[in-house]
Amino acid sequence: MSKLFPKSANRLPLQIIILVIVLGSIVTAGTTYYATNSYINVGYAPVQPVPFSHALHNGQLGIDCRYCHVGVDKGPTSTVPTSQTCMNCHNQVKPDSPLLEVVRNSYASGDPVPWVKIHQAPDYVYFNHSVHIARGVSCVMCHGQINEMDVVHQAKPLSMGFCLECHRAPEKFVRDPKLVTQLDWKHPGGDAGQLEDGKKFVHDWNIKPPQSCSGCHR
Amino acid sequence: MKRKFEHPAPSERELTGPKYWRSLDELAETPGFKAEVEREFPADASNLNGVDRRQFFKLMAASFALGGVGLAAGCRRPEKHILPYGKSVEDIIPGLPLYFASAMPTRKGAIPILAETHQGRPTKIEGNPTYSPYGGATNAFVQASVLDLYDPDRATVSTVKGAAATGAAVQDLLAKIGSDASLGSGAGLAFLAGQSSSPTRAALVAGLRKKFPKAIWAEYEASLDEASASAAQAAFGQSVKPIYQFAKAKRIVSIDSDFFQAESHSLYYSREFTKGRKILKKEDAMNRLYAIESGFSLVGSMADHRLRLASSHMLAFAAALASKVSGDDTFSPLSKGLEFKDQDKWLDACAADLLAHKGECVIVAGSHLPAQVHAIVYAMNVILGNVGKTLDFVEVPASNAATISTLASAIKEGSVKTLVILGGNPAYDAPADLDFATLLKSVPEVVRYGYYVDETSAVSGAHIQAAHYLESWGDARTADGTIVPVQPMIMPLFNGLTEIEVLARIAGESITDPYTLVYNTITGLVGGNADHVFRQFLHDGLLHGTAYTKASVRFNAVGLSPIFALAPQFVALSEENLEVRFTFDAKVDDGRFANNGWLQECPDPITKISWDNAILVSPKLAKHLGIDPAGSLLQVARKENATYKQGKEQAFIGEVTVNGVTVRGPLHIQPGLSNYTLVLPLGYGRTVSGRVGKGVGHNFYPLRTTSTLGYATGAKLVVKQDELHALANTQEHWSMEGREIVREANRYNEDGSSVDLGFVNTFGIESHAPSNLGEEDSIAEMAKLSPQERAERKALLAVETPRGQSLYEHPNLTGVHQWGMSIDLNTCIGCNACVVACQAENNIPIVGKEQVLRGREMHWIRLDRYYSDGNIEAAAFGGPGNKEIPEDPQVSIQPVGCQHCEAAPCEIVCPVNATVHDDEGLNVMAYNRCIGTRYCANNCPYKVRRFNFFDWNKRSLDELYMGPLGKSGMPELVKMVKNPDVTVRMRGVMEKCTYCVQRIQQAKIKQKVKAGASDHVEIPDGTIKTACQQVCPVDAVVFGNIKDPESAVSKAKVLDQNYALLGYLNIRPRTSYLGKLRNPNPAMPDYAALPLSRTEYEKKNNPHFGHEPAHGGESGPGEHAPEGEVKGEHHSFLKGNNLFGGLS
Repeated sequence: MSKLFPKSANRLPLQIIILVIVLGSIVTAGTTYYATNSYINVGYAPVQPVPFSHALHNGQLGIDCRYCHVGVDKGPTSTVPTSQTCMNCHNQVKPDSPLLEVVRNSYASGDPVPWVKIHQAPDYVYFNHSVHIARGVSCVMCHGQINEMDVVHQAKPLSMGFCLECHRAPEKFVRDPKLVTQLDWKHPGGDAGQLEDGKKFVHDWNIKPPQSCSGCHR
Repeated sequence: MKRKFEHPAPSERELTGPKYWRSLDELAETPGFKAEVEREFPADASNLNGVDRRQFFKLMAASFALGGVGLAAGCRRPEKHILPYGKSVEDIIPGLPLYFASAMPTRKGAIPILAETHQGRPTKIEGNPTYSPYGGATNAFVQASVLDLYDPDRATVSTVKGAAATGAAVQDLLAKIGSDASLGSGAGLAFLAGQSSSPTRAALVAGLRKKFPKAIWAEYEASLDEASASAAQAAFGQSVKPIYQFAKAKRIVSIDSDFFQAESHSLYYSREFTKGRKILKKEDAMNRLYAIESGFSLVGSMADHRLRLASSHMLAFAAALASKVSGDDTFSPLSKGLEFKDQDKWLDACAADLLAHKGECVIVAGSHLPAQVHAIVYAMNVILGNVGKTLDFVEVPASNAATISTLASAIKEGSVKTLVILGGNPAYDAPADLDFATLLKSVPEVVRYGYYVDETSAVSGAHIQAAHYLESWGDARTADGTIVPVQPMIMPLFNGLTEIEVLARIAGESITDPYTLVYNTITGLVGGNADHVFRQFLHDGLLHGTAYTKASVRFNAVGLSPIFALAPQFVALSEENLEVRFTFDAKVDDGRFANNGWLQECPDPITKISWDNAILVSPKLAKHLGIDPAGSLLQVARKENATYKQGKEQAFIGEVTVNGVTVRGPLHIQPGLSNYTLVLPLGYGRTVSGRVGKGVGHNFYPLRTTSTLGYATGAKLVVKQDELHALANTQEHWSMEGREIVREANRYNEDGSSVDLGFVNTFGIESHAPSNLGEEDSIAEMAKLSPQERAERKALLAVETPRGQSLYEHPNLTGVHQWGMSIDLNTCIGCNACVVACQAENNIPIVGKEQVLRGREMHWIRLDRYYSDGNIEAAAFGGPGNKEIPEDPQVSIQPVGCQHCEAAPCEIVCPVNATVHDDEGLNVMAYNRCIGTRYCANNCPYKVRRFNFFDWNKRSLDELYMGPLGKSGMPELVKMVKNPDVTVRMRGVMEKCTYCVQRIQQAKIKQKVKAGASDHVEIPDGTIKTACQQVCPVDAVVFGNIKDPESAVSKAKVLDQNYALLGYLNIRPRTSYLGKLRNPNPAMPDYAALPLSRTEYEKKNNPHFGHEPAHGGESGPGEHAPEGEVKGEHHSFLKGNNLFGGLS
């Protein structure tokens, strides 16, 4: 047998084990880093059929989120506005802009504008906007500084871990429901102030965000 | 709530967008699919031959590497779009359902509903609580009707002579019928319609008859109620119909009447009846039900005294009872020949009981019985002073429609040139002696308007497709006369027409739009602002104060003599001269629901057979025929070794011959049947139907003739010993085996004192085992507390879960609410409405007969039906009693869904934490975690977990075993019925009752939104109704927060008769039951001091029970009364026994 295998072959088992460990670590590390929402989805900014700028409408003009997203405090979806909502202003403002051609056509025909979905919870997750808005979770918590985005991109991972981060410690995030659409608002007292107020809100409003499966999966 | 929307015309995009498949066959016709089928394996599966191994591995390595690169480069899920409306639609927020008031029209009535719609798509039907007689309840048919709307097999196109016709062509056709007929003032024109309570239709028909005086307007329904109407007309000289007030009746005698299901006002009757069975405290009175019946109906299962008697002997019985009640001999000649065990004693005791409750008892007769029975029953009610108290007569418009027989003779004479058939299916269900299918061929022009292409369409020249009631404008009257709207939830999916539009077009009316027709009818009835009236009508879902007026009636015995002149002769029955009794199947009704998978799969409430009907034979007859299962012990099913297949019932085929006509069907032995009655459920054996209904079951209509619509005598039965038919029976095991599963007691002890309602805890293992929750919270200690204190104590225990006798520590449950359920077994009538409601709410799939035979049905709630006859041996289960099928059993019914145990056995065996507890006490399933080990189902003591053996939703049922070669994907139409708030489960995951977690979460969210920056997050009691609770016609199910001692469920759970199923396992189920009570009359010959299931329990667990000499024991257990139809003396040894003597 020694003719078949050189002496160095004796080291092979060890080398194989080391290789497997190294490869395994690389794969594990790679998966944990790359195959997660925070890597794959954060920063996703598809081209939309209409180059709508939140930075302009909300950030500069100061139109409240709820002017367009009418369902956000009523139902599970925030509702993307109908073309009719756009036309409320745009039949006066820039009525002939070529960029708004799609919206005008949609309004005339009734066919929807095919907006590309950015923030997407999986089908088995039953997320509800209204309860978060009503109980003082700001839009900015999940959507980032939309008011500064010319092109909307996904700012947060929106993974289950991300949800639980808040559901486990709501006091770090809740604010007065009147302030939820003020995306620039920061607690004047800093983190300590937020924590102090947050604890008060959690106690006074009996905030017990669900941490069990039934909260989101039905 | 609803106004008329101006629907925008469909845009080009919509017209060219995705089309619904008219049928799967159509899809299968595509060349691509054909090519796929012709290939043995999918494309590329056979290409491996040309690739050598080395190359294959190279390719694999490369593809893996590519995969990695792709991942690292930001591989994303496919791009998805959000498509908002172009123009805003009022009230619609995607994700929030809207509810609209409407009604489902039935034969002679309507059931008011609230339809849940998701962006214009109805998904679930709830009852309309504004209509107080039904209190928001519905039945299984209403629940399942939404599935019909999305049935891919419904008629999707109108046809003339087999060719598709456009909408305009259909309108021309209808107009032509009218204009042709108007030449001869309607001569040669005939209509055959189903019954309807619609005022608009009635007005149109009146107009039609005025315009075409010579035309024939006939109405036909397979079900019947003519006898009771004609008897009422004769007895009172007015067009009146009876409405029973069961809530006021303390004694009820049902003569072959299934008033829980078969009457048009059954929902009301069920509700009212169970009001007399709701026992909250010791003083509450309980009604007593005597049921005399030939088959076994749910009324019989609730009866305190049940007498088995052939339907053809009911007249004699009614006459005999009337003689006793009235004390004179007017009717006694009719009772000649009647014979049953202890006849005199039975009748005397029953009559005495009725006479002791004058004005607070009621006698009802089945609608299939002849007019003479109804006349006698009316007479008895008059004598007993019940009219105006427990029995109201209301004035109903007299029907002037011709019968189907009149129409048939006109066709035979050749005087009908054009026949318009509106609804119904006469070619299938008309009386066999008319041979209607053949007659139709002799009519030159037959125009058929119907929802399905069926047997009648097959012999009609033209088929006009009907709109579903959820697509239609219309109106109807409930059985008590209240006018209710039928409003569309969705545009007609296939441009079907409504019945009133068809009639209006034939009549050549200037207005044919159904909305305007209904608007005009309603606003014509009520004064005031028309728009306002109509809006209010649509909002409320009914027009207040339109119920039929009560008639003051005067009984006129003379008017009855022509009826009695026609009284049928008494015919004695024997093995050679059997009686056949026609009933309508509990699943498919008269055949109209044959293509509804939800109903097909919902087991019959008594036989528990799904997907089939069977000839029901009595155990005695089965023995005579030699088909009783010799080897089996506690099974009704036939399980001989040689025929053991899949462990399911293998039934012999039998052939029934009446008057030279023979039908065949599987023989199912049904305990409790009258000895020589064969029960034939109608509605099956459809030859032209959709994929679900075609060729399922056996058709018994050929035996039914004009003179034998209810029952027939002179039948012979031949058994084909060499032919077997598998019946998908979901519960063959009939016995509780003497265990304390359904806990029963008699309402009153023999001395008339009230039973201790705490009886439920005096037997069973818990009664002598250490208390689960520790001695300070034992049943005995709890019993010492007042109800209020008990509720508070229990509320505390729900949160601070005590360790009690458990080996494990239990974490406290911290939720704001703690959910629990109480089910009242004393009011549950076993009607199956909850089963179908649950299926509709929770996207439960249909699995088909093949899979039900393998025990893979998916219902989250099931109704267990147990028979008990008091015969059971203490020494194991081999005594003679157990080998006999009970001839005269008592039935106990128990709904079982997931019990949401606080210490759930399923959770501790799940290897992946897919089933866990939440902080509000729910046992939840995370489908995405489930890997399908099925350990949980194995460890569940209630067997309520259901496993998805196949991708039921994506695969068609006949291709389940084809794997990847089968078609995959759900037809667009079927997708539309799914509840968007509930996950559609895939293959390989476990599922079970969730307490409608979606409804809980929605209510919690709504409450939190309302609370905002405050702490009012607790949901008010009564906000959440689970689907089974919402539909329950008898309010047997109560659901709510057990942490709140004031909630309805807490109040139900502190009742003395509250017990936990298998409570001794210390798994602490959150669902508990209220014990069942029976109220037998001690004077009756079949009186038993204990319910029969209790007798079985005592016999099994107490060897001395019933054997002390002092207690008689003149006949041993298992010795059946040989000839009689009534339980005999063999129970009398129980009299005076110390009920709990052996245990305390």
